[in-house]
Amino acid sequence: MKYKLLIALLFFIAIITAQNKKEQEIKDYFWGSNDAFKNANEIPEKWKNESAVIIYKNINYSYNKFGKKVTYKTSFRKRIKLLDKNAVEEFSKFSFRKKFKSNRGDYSYWQKKGKVFFAIKIIKEDGKEIEIDVDKEAIKEEDDYKIAISNLEVNDIIDYYYYNYEPFKSHDEYTFEAEERTLSDVYPIMDFKLYLESENDFFINFKSLNGAPQLKKVPSQKRNLRKYELLASDIPKNNFPIWFYPLAEVPSLKFQVYFARSGKFENRTIAFLSEEEKIIKSNVSKEDVLALYNGRFRPYGHLGDVIKYFKTQNFKTDEEKVIAAYYYMRHYYLTRFVEAFIVSDAKIMEPFMLYGATPVFIKNKKQFIKHFTAFLKDYKIDYEIVIGTKRYNGNIKDLLIEENVEVLVKIKTKNPLYAQFFGPHTNINQISPLLHGTDIYLLTTNERHKIKGVKKGVLPNSDYKKNVSNKEINLELNTEFSGFSVDTHNNLTGYCKISDQSDRLLFHDYVYEDYEKYGTKKLIDLIRKKKRKAKVEKEFNAVTSKIKKNQKKELEKQVKNEFKLNNIKDYKHTLINTGRYGLDAKFEYDESFTFKDQYIKKAGANYIIEIGRFIGGQIEIEDEKRQRNVGIYMTYPRTFNYHIKLKIPNGYTVSGIDKLIKNVANNTGAFISNAKLENGILDITTSKQYKHNYEPKENWKLMLLFLDEANQFKNEKILLKKIL
Amino acid sequence: MKKIVLLYILINNLFSVIIYAQKKIEPNDTDIAQAVKLKEKFDEKDNVAIIKSTENVTFNFNKKTEKVVVNHKIEEDLINLDERADIQKYYFYDGQSKILTFNILYKNKKRTGFRIEDEAFTSQGLFHNDSRVKYVNIDFPLKGYKYKSILKERITDIKYFTKLYFNDEYPIENKKITIVIPNWLNLELKEINFKGYDIKKQITTNPKQNSKTYTFTLEDIPAKSKEESAPGPTYIYPHLLILPKSYTNNTKENILFKETKDLYNWYQSLVKELKNENEPFKNTVLDLTKNAKTDVEKIKNIYYWVQDNIRYIAFEDGIAGFKPDEAVNVFQKKYGDCKGMANLTKQMLIEAGFDSRLVWIGTKRIAYDYSTPNLSVDNHMICAVIINGEITFLDATEKYNPFGEYAHRIQGKEALIENGNDFILKKVPELNYEFNKEIINYTLKLEGEELTGSATRNYGGERRTELLYTISNIKKDKKDKSLKKYLSRDNTNITVSNIKTSDLNNRESSLELNYSLTIKNAVSIFDKELYINLDFDKEFSSHNFKKRKLDYIFSSKKKIISTTVLSVPETYKILELPKNIALHTDNYDLEVTFTKNENRIIYKKKFKIKKAIIKKIDFESWNTFNNDLVKLYNEQITLIKK
Repeated sequence: MKYKLLIALLFFIAIITAQNKKEQEIKDYFWGSNDAFKNANEIPEKWKNESAVIIYKNINYSYNKFGKKVTYKTSFRKRIKLLDKNAVEEFSKFSFRKKFKSNRGDYSYWQKKGKVFFAIKIIKEDGKEIEIDVDKEAIKEEDDYKIAISNLEVNDIIDYYYYNYEPFKSHDEYTFEAEERTLSDVYPIMDFKLYLESENDFFINFKSLNGAPQLKKVPSQKRNLRKYELLASDIPKNNFPIWFYPLAEVPSLKFQVYFARSGKFENRTIAFLSEEEKIIKSNVSKEDVLALYNGRFRPYGHLGDVIKYFKTQNFKTDEEKVIAAYYYMRHYYLTRFVEAFIVSDAKIMEPFMLYGATPVFIKNKKQFIKHFTAFLKDYKIDYEIVIGTKRYNGNIKDLLIEENVEVLVKIKTKNPLYAQFFGPHTNINQISPLLHGTDIYLLTTNERHKIKGVKKGVLPNSDYKKNVSNKEINLELNTEFSGFSVDTHNNLTGYCKISDQSDRLLFHDYVYEDYEKYGTKKLIDLIRKKKRKAKVEKEFNAVTSKIKKNQKKELEKQVKNEFKLNNIKDYKHTLINTGRYGLDAKFEYDESFTFKDQYIKKAGANYIIEIGRFIGGQIEIEDEKRQRNVGIYMTYPRTFNYHIKLKIPNGYTVSGIDKLIKNVANNTGAFISNAKLENGILDITTSKQYKHNYEPKENWKLMLLFLDEANQFKNEKILLKKIL
Repeated sequence: MKKIVLLYILINNLFSVIIYAQKKIEPNDTDIAQAVKLKEKFDEKDNVAIIKSTENVTFNFNKKTEKVVVNHKIEEDLINLDERADIQKYYFYDGQSKILTFNILYKNKKRTGFRIEDEAFTSQGLFHNDSRVKYVNIDFPLKGYKYKSILKERITDIKYFTKLYFNDEYPIENKKITIVIPNWLNLELKEINFKGYDIKKQITTNPKQNSKTYTFTLEDIPAKSKEESAPGPTYIYPHLLILPKSYTNNTKENILFKETKDLYNWYQSLVKELKNENEPFKNTVLDLTKNAKTDVEKIKNIYYWVQDNIRYIAFEDGIAGFKPDEAVNVFQKKYGDCKGMANLTKQMLIEAGFDSRLVWIGTKRIAYDYSTPNLSVDNHMICAVIINGEITFLDATEKYNPFGEYAHRIQGKEALIENGNDFILKKVPELNYEFNKEIINYTLKLEGEELTGSATRNYGGERRTELLYTISNIKKDKKDKSLKKYLSRDNTNITVSNIKTSDLNNRESSLELNYSLTIKNAVSIFDKELYINLDFDKEFSSHNFKKRKLDYIFSSKKKIISTTVLSVPETYKILELPKNIALHTDNYDLEVTFTKNENRIIYKKKFKIKKAIIKKIDFESWNTFNNDLVKLYNEQITLIKK
């Protein structure tokens, strides 16, 4: 027994010693004698008025393996001069985890735990270094540790590192999460270093963007260990204006690492891998795209339901077939199950067995492509597969990370059609606005619908004349002249309707529309047992009623926010048309409400009406944002039209109509308004147009012209003058 | 085949059981009618009500710890008043308490199987405490659906069991609190805020058990209010304050909190455990005091140093919730909670040769004073310094607070001041609203369709303290922008320039901000007439209490004097000015006037909120004035071309 105890004790001591040794090694790595920033305490004069300055930022990644066993180590160090109370507050508390179970690779109960080594030191103004005893001062709260930093004052330097040691096993290939970031931080950085080391079987994709320095190889003593670093200095802090995608212009880096033990795993990895580990992949050619996706988009899917539906239809053209198939699939593979998800979330019943043993439910964009192309193949309709990337990732030529790929189908009908993975209200030819006008690769197919080649292409952009929000507002003053009753009729087309549809359409607004169109059954009608059906129906109606009530509250909040109103009363929302079958189909709804004590001001016997406020909030550009040195990245070209009709009360005339007539139009956009008095109604029309989704920085001045004019219109008033 | 038949019977039976069980738990017509009735009775926003709530409290003595233990049981019958409700039921516990049972049952008494979660819970404003929460998500699928919630908790020491409320997060139809007090325990149940409530009380003697049972019942109790800026719960809800005085063990009486002195003694026993080794800050004290000419200057230097150099970070774990941290720890860590800061201030002052004491105090949120000794009487610690017999309170958690001024939250509150084996009770002086004076002056003239001119804003008292603190916490590189935004009232039509401020580190004089401004779109010209909006601040415009049920509490007393002088060009004459309005009561004076003086319009607002509270009883007259005020803010000054 004693012997056993002794063994256990020795084992325990060995663990502790190893742990301490590791801890010391890490400390030496960051703060040891080779630390070039040990005495870096000064900051440049130009940054003296900043809240804080990062003297040194160092990020490290290390990938090692032994067979299936992977050791992944990441760490970062920041040495920061704190120049005000705000910065002291910002760095006065930290939380971290000491041990954790990795969720990477294979699951195992016996898996070795990951460890975190966290250390902080403070360098006082006189150069004195104080290391915080993290183990002593940190407090455990659940699995986390919290620490409040002692003796931290303005003008101190805080120097801390966080080292994450994460062992895991992976029998199969494994893809580490992608890193995409600007070099800049919330504070300016004096020196920056990214260090990366990897052994065989780790493939690295890395790219420096927008003028960021390149990753360089550094000498390594071990043959199978490769080392790289990226050095940068003098990096100003983040200063991102409105309508901006930082990764498209600011010096940035992107990288991702993949673990693949052999050619078999390399082939299985869904990534643009280099030919061998020692080559860092920094450019993905169209041939790489073809090589990765060739064979991965084979048409595949059970089409029995579509075929059955098509037998009941009579189509004249392929175009008609494609459109019908898209909407049918949207229903049959998605909206048909919406009620089931609600019932399941509300814990009313487990509903999915009601749809048969293996109902098709399309979960992701790749499954959609396979299923939709299976249909196209069956009906002998030619297509190409579009490989694109969202605008905030930069151009497709800078593609590096497979997760950034967006995929859709271009159908080669007489007028080409595009089909993207559907949501409950998406349409054929609806492409994510983040892909509009972007360069793409097109995977071409042969007559047997196998991918045969790749070519470059461009996705169409959308038109501000088609993405339109029309709002008709009928205004009437209340009898006390203290407020208004407001009736609006709204119709939205193109991409303008998307967010409104998602906010305003509850499941019952569109699911029953689809059931009727396709002759499918409501969830409740799928339940056979009478008693069960009655129970579920009651509970389902209750949950529906609650959802409706919550929606009404949300819509009231939205309208208050839209017109910047403190309070509204008698709110009513009526859906007229869901606009779900065609991008150009109108999404229509009416709203009405009343409000008081805003936008009307008494002036003796007369009244001033802040009529401009009825075009809603406008973009106000502050002085410091009026100069711009980066491009303008907006969602999509769009038009906002208002038609305001104000009933002029008897016994009053209107002055100030001339100020409501404005016209600023240029290549970037426009604000045009007109006003007239007709039959006792003040009739105002306004149109604000954003003509493109991107403008070069030089056009900012042109944009300001119409943005300012619209903002000025918001401030315009009319006078209701009492006829004496 | 036999097996299949058996399986069929088994499945069928199982299904019947489910159906039978569902029948028992689904709301019947009576339940639904009850839900409808309760919905009518209580606030329309209440989605769930408690039909019956019974709380049972018993006590026993733990010989091992020599503490009086509290056994607290709560049973609640919940009912859904809406079509469907999804709520969270939760109970907190900490190092002094333990939750023994927490169950949710269907109405047929069967267990629901809802998962009870258990998490650490850090109270707002604290960095770390030992509080935890057990909670459960409950869904009521239909109107009239019922559950029973059962909680059993044990509080290991009676001194941490301080009060019992009748109100809950949900309205209650029938509430019953039963407290069995054994004869060996001397405990007073102080009835607070019972007036106006039909609380029935019954006392029965249990000779066999050597105890007395106190039963309190109340019907139709509304849910606790969610209104903001309301008085603390101890002012507005009926409750029992638990005052454990002593217990007898083996014929010996052991004192708990029999009188204020006992509470003080307990606090003092914790303070006595402090080592108070002041060596590490001796030099700092010396540096702070060596050039000071007077005692007050020395004290100020120390007090301000603690304010400026010690960050508020609070740990409330076990006894640390009551015992101050060592002064030297706070000094070295440069952070602490109110107790730590008070103790450091005290020790630094002692080091400088002053008579300094710790002070326990309840902020204004707490209704009690020390006549009811109990751990919920206070929630804050400050320091006091005595010069020539004069007590001055020092609260270093109030950043930028000048010596001799007191935050509204402690004004008028009774302070328990250290005094060796004894204690001193003294109220923190109430300061007059004059002290928080805000003076705003705009001098404007017409330039085309714009107003241009200058403005001065002068802040005294708490408003100054609050602003200096806010400014000090803004990022250095954002300070100018933030100040401009504040002065332009976040209105992009107002452009602010040439800002000059008084010393932003001087907490003793008033804060003055001078600046130039240009205002667009405040002037509208129609034909020969010109309309001007002269109000850019619109004080109190959102303070309408039409739907409010509880008194409204301001963060401090107020006096605002705002004067706008507009010079009218000679080519215009003043046609019409809005009518003057005024309301004067004991609690507040509100007055807005317009006067003409040659070619000048003088627009003056005088607002005095003398007691930082608008009582419900005054809501009608306040709201009438507020409606007029909002109308006036919307009125325009009319000029006409001569």
